[in-house]
Amino acid sequence: MDKRIVITGVGVISPIGNQKDLFWNALISGTSGVSEITSFDTSPFKVHKGCTVKNFNYDDYTSNGSSREIGKGSQFAIAAAKLAIEDSNVDLNNIDPERAGVSIGTTAGEIQILEKINYIRHEKGEESVDPGLFLKHPCVNMPSNISIEFGFKGPSTIIPTACAAGNYAIGYACDLIKLGRADIMLAGGSDPFSKVAFVGFSRLNAIAPDICQPFDKNRKGLLVGEGAGMLVLESMEDALARNANIYAEILGYGLSCDGYHITIPHPEGNGVTSAMEKALKSAKIKPEDVQYMSAHGTGTVANDKAETISIKKVFGEHAKNLAISSIKSMLGHTMGAASAIEAIACALAIKESVVPPTINYETKDPECDLDFVPNVKREMQVDIAMNNAYAFGGNNSSLILKKFTG
Amino acid sequence: MNSRLVITGISVLSSIGVNKDEFWTNLTNGVSGIKDITLFDVSKYKSKKAGEISGFDAREYLGKKGIRHIDRTSLLVSSAAKLAMDDAKITHEIYSAEELGIVIGSTYGSIDSISSFDLEGLQEGPTFVNPMDFPNTVLNAPASRVSIFCNATGLNSTISTGTASGLDAIIYASDFLRLGRVKAVFAGGVHGLTADIFWGAYRSGILSGSSNGDIEISAPFDKRRNGFIIGEAAALLVIERLEDALERNATIYAEIKGYGCTFNPDKVSRDDIDTTQGVRCISIAMKDAGINTDEVSYISACANSSVTGDIMEAKIIKDYFGDNADKIPVSAIKSMTGECLDASGSLQCIAGILAINNGIIPPTINYQEKDEECDLDCVPNNSRESEVKNVLINSFSDTGNISSIIISKYS
Repeated sequence: MDKRIVITGVGVISPIGNQKDLFWNALISGTSGVSEITSFDTSPFKVHKGCTVKNFNYDDYTSNGSSREIGKGSQFAIAAAKLAIEDSNVDLNNIDPERAGVSIGTTAGEIQILEKINYIRHEKGEESVDPGLFLKHPCVNMPSNISIEFGFKGPSTIIPTACAAGNYAIGYACDLIKLGRADIMLAGGSDPFSKVAFVGFSRLNAIAPDICQPFDKNRKGLLVGEGAGMLVLESMEDALARNANIYAEILGYGLSCDGYHITIPHPEGNGVTSAMEKALKSAKIKPEDVQYMSAHGTGTVANDKAETISIKKVFGEHAKNLAISSIKSMLGHTMGAASAIEAIACALAIKESVVPPTINYETKDPECDLDFVPNVKREMQVDIAMNNAYAFGGNNSSLILKKFTG
Repeated sequence: MNSRLVITGISVLSSIGVNKDEFWTNLTNGVSGIKDITLFDVSKYKSKKAGEISGFDAREYLGKKGIRHIDRTSLLVSSAAKLAMDDAKITHEIYSAEELGIVIGSTYGSIDSISSFDLEGLQEGPTFVNPMDFPNTVLNAPASRVSIFCNATGLNSTISTGTASGLDAIIYASDFLRLGRVKAVFAGGVHGLTADIFWGAYRSGILSGSSNGDIEISAPFDKRRNGFIIGEAAALLVIERLEDALERNATIYAEIKGYGCTFNPDKVSRDDIDTTQGVRCISIAMKDAGINTDEVSYISACANSSVTGDIMEAKIIKDYFGDNADKIPVSAIKSMTGECLDASGSLQCIAGILAINNGIIPPTINYQEKDEECDLDCVPNNSRESEVKNVLINSFSDTGNISSIIISKYS
């Protein structure tokens, strides 16, 4: 229970780069991952853009090749996990597979397979659907495919708490190690591009036409994205024993639920403040100890306003001193992967003493009057970072990472 | 970590009862809830039956307003949560919203909503889909609805490990209670019957009666079994730390003594059943509970009438319990309720809890022909009076997820 949990490896598949260094360089140079959507016809919509993963070839990441047909979400997750394991220098032949587990978050699981089933049955009729597809789309396939890929025999779980899922999964992975139920965990989030999400958000008029501008006065919404972020987590003792490179320590996390409305955030941000407060308490730190915050910052009018109110409530005067960025300005909203990729951004910010910017920031919003690291990265020492993520359904999460100093 | 966890409330909505008393009476009388499906058209399929809940009207539990756009899975679990809250006698005077948590196992119940939304876009044009239906497409919607209906804001999680998710939700909730984060958690699983999941399961060939000449029957451990019959249910436990339960003078049904989760990454086939991870999972749970192999009085089985799955469970039980395996009653309530997918684990738990409280072990019905590969004492066809102290509940999912829980008489 008193075990300290550290991050010893990170892997990213994202709209701005598929590998830690490529991702990080793109992130701190303020690269946008936005492009025209080509996987389906967007002509009926007013908006046509999204953030998709480029240059992804699953065979580059697995020796199994395409012999095992799995969904894109699993492919992203396995690729990110492979990168994370390589990054951690963990030798899979030297670990006990029964003590190794998987905890992943998602919004929609293998939604592209379900969309494919629906497309075929709509175009050609029910009988034309390949029966082999039915068992492959439920999201439980995602953690199972990862566990199978690496031969892990410890707990394998998926927490689909939508856009906050990555944080939930990382937090629970830490719990499993603390409770002695696993020694090493692959944790994170993954989502392939979801047409369903695109249609839904566009019907809610929540999608931006061109660019994502979190906290900007003229922000026009989010951009649907895709990707995966996976972390290797282990106890400090195990990491030190194998002389591992430690990115950061996970000090604690907090979860809460608005219990207010299925899609609209609580106007006073009650659930959001509670998640942040619980995270601070579980990390045994004061608000003043936090230097950097990776905001949820979707770029919708309602979210960014409520989030700013909540940050001020929790941090008081210190809110003005926080460097806050929303990397969704670059990646779009990678859904269940978002908070996992953002946790990786926090870990790298701590390690590299550089904070990524919020790009596309042009006009200050009096209702969002904090330091959002506009447009240009900032070199600064980060001892403690807070990673916030919220979701449809009112699921709120805050994760706290700390520079590892022994 | 040393806190003892107790169950202070239960609720069940199932095809054999929409409250715990009705459920228990039918369960011990061997009444089947499996009947011809009425919720959607199955005329073009060979399989026609399910464990459908007849006459479920969410308005009785949730009121008349604001429920029109909520899907069946969410309505079932929200209704069950209301029942659980009443059964545990929890009010917001006892525990604040922040002290209450919700953890729901749900993987399959939202898929029909996602498909319907997607298909409407294909059929009508994507700009004509109803945005009110969009919230049902997120997999955490059922749990979130519960939080809104019950005003529980301290924790809200969804676990989607397929048929293991009901147990995994209880385990996740127990972990949070052991870590001292909330006071009481409503945990369990839900699966609302939908056309989409039925169709997918049917086309995958895993439903009973889907092949020519097969009888359509839920007959776990019986030689005639040929696949499962799908069912629907919402089954929740209210779990608290013992000291909190005692302080508020709660009724204590039973204690959660221990649990474990493992994963089997190897493909299981009838000719190649490796029991290692199943055996290891039970042994982790037994060790956590601190009980010996001769102390298990009842196993509420996962067996769902699938050809290979039932053999695997029987083998795992025999491999773990050795000579004691013959002496332990192992009954499969899915013979009566059907395979309720995400709800099955928590439904098995409730059967176990009521067995402890009533001193009766429910039967495996439809048992006629012995299968040498499943030769356990499956309490065939008639319930049995017996003192029940420790119950083992297993979930072995086709996806490789394995979970076990030990629930014990509280003393």
